[in-house]
Amino acid sequence: MKRYNNIFNKMLLLLLLAFSFGCTEDYLDETEEYTIDSENYFNSEEDYYNAMIGVYDILQSTYVNVLLGEIASDNTLSGGESANDVIGFQQVDEMTHTPVNDNLDDVWDWNFAGVQRANYVLEFQDKTDFEGREMIIAEVRFLRAYFTFELVKWFGPIPIKGDERFVLGDENSVPRASTEEVYAQIESDLQFAIENLNYTAPETGRATKGAAMALLGKAHLYQEEFDEAANVLTDLIENGPYALADFDTLFLQEGENNEESVFEVQYTGEEGAGFDCLPCSEGNVAVGFQGIRNYSGPVFEPGFSFNVPTQEAYDMFTEDDIRREPSILDIEAWAAETGATYAEGYKHTGYFNRKYLPRENDNVGDANLTQPNNYRSIRYADVLLMAAEALNRGGIDDSEARTYLNEVRERAGLDGVDAAGNALTEIIYEERRKELVGEGHRFFDLVRTGRAADNIEGFTAGKNELFPIPLEEIEFSQGNWEQNPGY
Amino acid sequence: MNRILVLILFCIGTFSLQAQNFSVSGTVDEADTGLPLPGVNIILKNTTNGVVTDFDGNYTINNITAGDVLVFSYVGFLPQEITVGENQTEINVILKTDSAALDEVVVIGYGTQQKKDITGAVSVVSNKTIEQLNPIKVEQALQGTAAGVNVTPSSGAPGAGININIRGIASNSENGPLVLIDGYQGDLNTINPNDIESISILKDAQAAIYGIAGANGVVLVSTKSGKKNTAPTIQYDAYVGVQETSRELPLLNATEYGLLLNESYANNGQALPFPNVSELGRGTDFQEEVFDTSPIMSHNLTLNGGSEKVTYSFGVSHLDQEGVIGAKKSDFQRSTARFNIGVDISDAFTFTGNTIYTSIDRRSINENGLGSVLFNALNIPPTFGVDQEDVDGTLGNEIINPLSQIENTFNDYNLNKFNGSFSLDYMPIDELTFTSRIGYSLSTSKGKDFAPIIDYGPGKVFNNVRSTVNQNRINDNSYTYDLFGTYENTFDETHHLTGTAGMTVIRNWGDGLYATGYDVPNNSWDFADISLTTGTNDGLNNSAYKYDIRKLSFFGRLQYDYKGKYLFSGMLRRDASTRFGPENRVGYFPSATAGWILSEEYFLSDSNVISFLKLRGSFGILGNDEAGGAEFYRSLLNGEATYVLDGNLVNGTALGRIANPASGWEEAEKTNIGIDLRLLNNRIDISADVFREDRKDLLVAGIPVSGIFGGGAPGSGAPTINAGTTRNEGLEFAINYKENFGDDIRVGVGYNATFLRNEVTEVNGTEFLPGGQFGVGQPQPARFQEGFPIGYFYGYETDGIFQNQAEVDAHPSQETLGAAASPGDIRYVDTNGDGVINVDDRTNIGDPIPTATMGLNLNFSYKNFDFTAYTYASLGNDMVRNYERNQPNVNRHAYYLERWTGPGTSNEVPRVTTGATSNVAFSDFYVEDASYARIQNVQIGYSLPETFLEKTGINRLRIYTSVQNLYTFTNYKGFDPSASTGEAIGGGIDYGFYPVPRIFLAGLNLNF
Repeated sequence: MKRYNNIFNKMLLLLLLAFSFGCTEDYLDETEEYTIDSENYFNSEEDYYNAMIGVYDILQSTYVNVLLGEIASDNTLSGGESANDVIGFQQVDEMTHTPVNDNLDDVWDWNFAGVQRANYVLEFQDKTDFEGREMIIAEVRFLRAYFTFELVKWFGPIPIKGDERFVLGDENSVPRASTEEVYAQIESDLQFAIENLNYTAPETGRATKGAAMALLGKAHLYQEEFDEAANVLTDLIENGPYALADFDTLFLQEGENNEESVFEVQYTGEEGAGFDCLPCSEGNVAVGFQGIRNYSGPVFEPGFSFNVPTQEAYDMFTEDDIRREPSILDIEAWAAETGATYAEGYKHTGYFNRKYLPRENDNVGDANLTQPNNYRSIRYADVLLMAAEALNRGGIDDSEARTYLNEVRERAGLDGVDAAGNALTEIIYEERRKELVGEGHRFFDLVRTGRAADNIEGFTAGKNELFPIPLEEIEFSQGNWEQNPGY
Repeated sequence: MNRILVLILFCIGTFSLQAQNFSVSGTVDEADTGLPLPGVNIILKNTTNGVVTDFDGNYTINNITAGDVLVFSYVGFLPQEITVGENQTEINVILKTDSAALDEVVVIGYGTQQKKDITGAVSVVSNKTIEQLNPIKVEQALQGTAAGVNVTPSSGAPGAGININIRGIASNSENGPLVLIDGYQGDLNTINPNDIESISILKDAQAAIYGIAGANGVVLVSTKSGKKNTAPTIQYDAYVGVQETSRELPLLNATEYGLLLNESYANNGQALPFPNVSELGRGTDFQEEVFDTSPIMSHNLTLNGGSEKVTYSFGVSHLDQEGVIGAKKSDFQRSTARFNIGVDISDAFTFTGNTIYTSIDRRSINENGLGSVLFNALNIPPTFGVDQEDVDGTLGNEIINPLSQIENTFNDYNLNKFNGSFSLDYMPIDELTFTSRIGYSLSTSKGKDFAPIIDYGPGKVFNNVRSTVNQNRINDNSYTYDLFGTYENTFDETHHLTGTAGMTVIRNWGDGLYATGYDVPNNSWDFADISLTTGTNDGLNNSAYKYDIRKLSFFGRLQYDYKGKYLFSGMLRRDASTRFGPENRVGYFPSATAGWILSEEYFLSDSNVISFLKLRGSFGILGNDEAGGAEFYRSLLNGEATYVLDGNLVNGTALGRIANPASGWEEAEKTNIGIDLRLLNNRIDISADVFREDRKDLLVAGIPVSGIFGGGAPGSGAPTINAGTTRNEGLEFAINYKENFGDDIRVGVGYNATFLRNEVTEVNGTEFLPGGQFGVGQPQPARFQEGFPIGYFYGYETDGIFQNQAEVDAHPSQETLGAAASPGDIRYVDTNGDGVINVDDRTNIGDPIPTATMGLNLNFSYKNFDFTAYTYASLGNDMVRNYERNQPNVNRHAYYLERWTGPGTSNEVPRVTTGATSNVAFSDFYVEDASYARIQNVQIGYSLPETFLEKTGINRLRIYTSVQNLYTFTNYKGFDPSASTGEAIGGGIDYGFYPVPRIFLAGLNLNF
């Protein structure tokens, strides 16, 4: 019995010890969950495609760049309901903005969100190989260039980190890269995109070779690298599939993604949205914001009457310019003609940005936030004018510059010009303003050509060329990032 | 023939054996009381021959020879050895209480300790207290019985959750203690109180043996088990009772309401809504309509016993409780079965195993929210009939007829759970024990709710145009595996050493599945199941989750005492939790405790006054890894990623909430200094503690960070960061007094009190964290902010009522609060003195954390009668009155009868008007002192005299009657000052808490 007990005891002891093995730290790494974690993704083509959609998604948030960029210019006034309605818009309109501005903060946050989502894909670009991977990477790099270009336009030097996501702590260590470094990354991204994309996209709305070339030309033009700009833009004009379209329908639903569209931000009214998350909307929030206040009548839907064109912007068009009516709505004339009614908002001018007004459609609520108007980010007309400007200002070929300029003028029902040199430059500038009014380019065109102080009331040279880094960002960086000059 | 011979020889042999031995019997009594002592162990020294006294203290032990030594022993009493004399067949013994040893054994985690040796702050609640309190849920037994433990019901609804905070609230998120049942991670919420032997609550650094999970304190539950060498005993406990609401609020009757509404309309220049008030009468009392008198019933059967090598305990119970609101739609049923067995497999191995099965069924009504049943009952005008809907839409979008609401409430929740443990002890030598133990908990629950097609009137938010049934299935599982060794020895009779070392593995895992069916046949609960629904819907109709959290820990503890006078212990635990990223997984949690038993010293050992005196202190660091439940070191891909391609919506994937790989556990530094004192031959027992806890590196969700991390993207958000520090400090005091007067009268009085100060000492990255809700569309009223108590209320301070226009004119403008002031409006204080009342004038106007809580408990018995009373008080806790809908046509609390109607009429309650006023802004007008004292339980029992029972075979039959929540003393206007949602930020906001019921019980305790 005693003997038996001993064997028995030993067996139990063995059993007891058996439990203690196998319990190493590995145990903690074997958790079974169906969560898709940021670090174990990118295992198939579908994963890359889905993550790319995530980057495209942020394009819709750039409505604020367009809206606020236009308000900053001499084309429009802030508008809205009262002097306190979206105070950030009001301050930018009057060039009294400070580092405390929620809307400038949105520009910073949302465009950096685009950069972060792009870098998430690029960080894992080599993880899984499949046919067509270069194309997805090229589109993602195009999108990173798009958001980065917006950021450098607004804020100048910004922190960049290459093909990696920012992680907590980087705000204290990653410095603001110089404008040159930022542009170098933009150019490299776009060059990669040009080499790996086609002129036609597999799905409407995705970036193309043409879009990358146009944006690269624009980036060079912003740096006054006229030769490089002229090269890529004339290449695009000669070899690309684009053409000018009928201006009357260009900004209507039927004009979306047409032959003039080089790159277009896609929106729809099929999904609802609310004020708690404006970037979540699938609609163009800017459109509802610049709609006619309390409007009741045909064709249009009401909105919040922001971003109202000035008398001067209306008056710059000659009578015979066919662009005037589709570009700017004279509400008094329209009301007289159709019997429509409306209310006058703050800084009422009598004009509305007709290119991007809410038009009657069955978008779901909140209807002010889900207008489906696509934003024509880069139009062929813009490409022609940029090419003309590069050829002229770079002293390369005024004649070719005139050809492109006149193409745009002729579509507008105007005669061609035969000026040259500085006179031609002035005409190109003027034409650019008229062609692109209401599309968010004017402020940055004035700044890059050094004409902002002369044209924008309240603009302080040496300060307002850049917008301030949001105050909280300066605080988060704990001295790592310096504020832009003058703020 | 041979056979018969053998048989005879055998019998003679047997007889001759018996002739040498005899039996001894007798009675064991308690020295102090003279009453018989059941359960006393009597062992023939140096043998395994032993018996236990029965309920009447009687015993009989066989096979005794003259000269044998009998050892009489019982926990808490001095053992006696008696040598049996020649033919001495009757030995009566009187046992004296062991005043020096006080060897009540207390579970302290990975072991037990004699109470006198404990150096940490531990409260113990025994099964005796549980029996006296008759709690429906175990948590209720801790209220007012254990110092430093604050118990707040989330509601008085049957089966509702109960929050426990030990020594205050330290975290901005999870504040509940770690609960261990027989060593494994468990849940107080589902356990049957009758299955519990004792509860230990570790309140200070001693809980550091539980490392990362111990910061909020540890509750150790031991379930019942049998005792060796005891005859089977059966205990049956049952009660039945009726319940009613503990409170109804005084509201305006129809006439008062009509007059008030007329005045309110007239004040805004509108036509009178009730031109003829005289016809209104008293109207409908909706509270009377929604409150019911409802039954409660409980049965509990326990069988205990043990032989020399095996102990067993078996219990079954059933509880059935209906709600006091909508009794037909709200109830709680709990059935449990428990089995416990202990086996000495061999000299060296002991096995214990236990399993508890629990089944819970619960139905509930909408409570504590805008539009809950009580909220509606308070706000619907008494001019409405019991079955009248608000078809004219006069009451806004939320308020509907509460009776229709109850009628259209359909839900059911069912939980099935197995939990238990298997444990093997190996004792190779007497000094060394190895324990290998696995505890498990496996539960599955299903829930269903049905929303019928219903129209409560135009624009009501509860209207439903399409019937739906939501169903879910949830699995929650966990196991806790412990392997540890304990070495205990005494060297030179003076150095007593106990060393414990081992490891623990905890895994919590589970999943949930939710689905919705549309278009329920016949719009009826009888057909409300997804299997019968046919409707489709464009959205996502189902969802699911899965989780798996693991912890791996190693620990060691050394306890040393010198001559039982100087006590030291030190412990260290290393924890790794998968709630954190691989780099920050591991934490080390050290602590040390010390004690000095002064009464063992020469200068006190002969004292007649002081029976026992101990000073003790502890310091240590504990952790908390629970903050909101989800992992935060990694990003999930749950961001919004929707774009439009080819004109269609396309969904992709994007990063969710910003990850913080650097996030680590919260750390609690706990310091405790205490004293244990027993006076006058242990009649008075005093315990006092001062404590401080600094909770550092609080895991705070939603701390703003730089935009470069992409938090501005849709579906993303701010990360969880270790970004705050809080401090709780306080004082605990407990005194118990026991005295017997003669043989018939016994008296016991217990009082305990806790005083607490709570403050947020640091918040990084943001000025404050908001929480809670007040009214509709108003800023969040509660804050977590440096320099203030956690969750303090942030609003305007008031200074009475403007009596006339001159006073209004003399005061800074209040226009930014909603409207310019008129006489009769609330006057707000310009706290910053800038000459205008605006948002910057908001300040601290109260907090929901009590500054003091206390319990006073009485026991009294005379002959066969016994009486107990338990009371509890909470002082200094504030509550926000948020059950009043700000809408012109709703009914009001009766305090509006005292409203301002002209100069000098009231300085408390503002005028009524349908026009715009600033009186609705969140101010101290809405914050009340919810201090209260409650008589929790009063019980009178009678035990039938033994003479009656002798023939029936019944050992004990006691009948009793009791009242729970007999009365609450408070100035608070709402239903229940004791209720809280338990949220750290936003607790103490009252939407019309479901009041705890007053319960009248009659019951019996029966022992065979």
